[in-house]
Amino acid sequence: MRIIRSGRLKIIFILIGVNIFIMAVLTYLSPTFMTYANITAVMTRMSELGMLAIAETIVLISGGFDISIGAVMALSGAVLGTLHVMGVPFYLSIIIALGAGIAVGFLNAVLVVNLRLTPFIVTLATMSIVRSVVYALLKGNVLTDLPEGFLNLYYMHVLKLPLLFVILAATAVIMAIMLKKTILGRRIYAIGGNEKTAFVSGVYVKRIRYLVYCLSGFICALAGLLFTARIRAVIPDAGLNAPLEVITAVLIGGTTIYGGKGSILGSLLGILAMYLLLNGFSLLGLNPFWEVIILGVILIVVIGQEGIIRSFKASFTRRPV
Amino acid sequence: MNDLAGKGTIITGFRNVFKVREAPILIYVVIMIAVFSFTIDRFFSMKNFEIISRQITTIGIVSVGMTLVILSGGFDLSVGAILSFAINIGGLGIVFGWPIWMVYTFMLVLGIILGWINGFLITRLAVPALIITLGTMNIYRGITMVITKGVYITPIPSVYSFIGSGYVPFLFYAAVLGIFTFVTLKTRFGRNIFAIGGAEESALYSGVPVRRYKTLVYIISGFLSALSGLILVGKSGFVQPQAGLGYELNAIAAVVIGGTSIFGGSGTIAGTFLGSVMLGIILAGLTMLAVNPYWQGLITGVLIVFAITLDSLRYLKR
Repeated sequence: MRIIRSGRLKIIFILIGVNIFIMAVLTYLSPTFMTYANITAVMTRMSELGMLAIAETIVLISGGFDISIGAVMALSGAVLGTLHVMGVPFYLSIIIALGAGIAVGFLNAVLVVNLRLTPFIVTLATMSIVRSVVYALLKGNVLTDLPEGFLNLYYMHVLKLPLLFVILAATAVIMAIMLKKTILGRRIYAIGGNEKTAFVSGVYVKRIRYLVYCLSGFICALAGLLFTARIRAVIPDAGLNAPLEVITAVLIGGTTIYGGKGSILGSLLGILAMYLLLNGFSLLGLNPFWEVIILGVILIVVIGQEGIIRSFKASFTRRPV
Repeated sequence: MNDLAGKGTIITGFRNVFKVREAPILIYVVIMIAVFSFTIDRFFSMKNFEIISRQITTIGIVSVGMTLVILSGGFDLSVGAILSFAINIGGLGIVFGWPIWMVYTFMLVLGIILGWINGFLITRLAVPALIITLGTMNIYRGITMVITKGVYITPIPSVYSFIGSGYVPFLFYAAVLGIFTFVTLKTRFGRNIFAIGGAEESALYSGVPVRRYKTLVYIISGFLSALSGLILVGKSGFVQPQAGLGYELNAIAAVVIGGTSIFGGSGTIAGTFLGSVMLGIILAGLTMLAVNPYWQGLITGVLIVFAITLDSLRYLKR
């Protein structure tokens, strides 16, 4: 019981409860929800945003912020498609696409670490830059000319689970172990919790920040490949809503924007809850724009919960100002 | 050189000009106009300057509101969404056949209400403005899309075009610039915005009504976004749900290029004006050079990084 009561795990248990509740409601409302086809569809669909959530979680834990995740995801797809059309060997273009993601992460790191700029504005600027490169590479077009073998990743299954979901799960497990069980991971928490203390305790803060942003770029690029394989095309608008969706899910999962706190499991449960809701909307035939409204409301409620409780209590007691 | 200082010579006069914080950006703007004038033959013409002045007004007006918000140490990502909400939901008045003054009032009131919601949430919940406005941006845009279902309001009466014709938008812009330059420099509210942005706690303990003023700043930003929307409708002759997409980024760019500190507490409206002019000139120049418009985002991004680097260096020096 002590484990359950500790703050971090409480959020996880609440989220598991929320997910089970949504599933129960959807099973009741829609007969097609609890079918193998629909469940695996949700799993496949959450793979790329799940990856982005992993990247965002690591960056937020380290006390940074990355709003360029969606743009980097689009970039890796665009690079892959463009190089393939140019006739570059496919394995090479995958490597270059992943490299492009790392390059953007590196750029973010240089600006944040060496020039000491605010991560939010830096990544807002790089988001704009990267998105413009994506549009320029694709000239606003959709590319569908991709090798069959790559597109078939979508249909592959491991132990009856979709391959894309397995890739997500594997990445999540590796990153969770990295964060919780390795020195590097603990140091990421340390610099997010208190950068100065970490620095005077002998942590190479700058080096770890570089690593975190590059890792985020790499995971986002990998997400771009999964996304391309899933929708079987390269589209310039990929991940346009990703910052909102991912940041909301990650914050729901117990990670804070102030750094030093958070877990990958929580973020993924947040993403899962979001996709179950979305799936429910489409099964029930609701306008998809309700998604952004609900996400926005959830974001404000989650981030402002303490303030809401405080204002609520304050409304019963008179006080100055 | 030291012995010349303070003697009232022309040289010190010049040196004082360079001490003004807008001086570097003014020089960049002049250089840019010079470069474009030499490389593009139709650039230096009244016609072209009229086009540029019309282009910068909509984002320019939004940027003035954004300047106040950033001066107060906040952030507003929802400006484009407020603009779109105000003209689309307010535009229902056009569909219902309301008189023009009623439609305009309705649109501006919507801007004020949405701005107030931002301000209310930010001051009451005490969480970063950035996250709140990221949330409200999507709520406002989502509601706009749900209500309009993505449909344009297209044949609109010609009276709505007056506000967007000729130099009228620029007159509005000039008025907004004048009013808010006065407000920031000469009123108690204006000075207190700087105080709040510089050190919120100190301002609070010095008796500044921080919550009220911060809320007011977001209300002004919402109002100016709606005003900018009216002009946009006048210029384009239709109301579209995607209006104002990406305005937040351009407004932030204009503000930080103009030398306003993203940490709050320091900056000027005049600087933001020059920032908007600079963005407008670059945009017009590149369009005339037939550069692919896709590269616009790249240029905006690079300029933002450049501007905040300068800001950060200034900040570190202190």
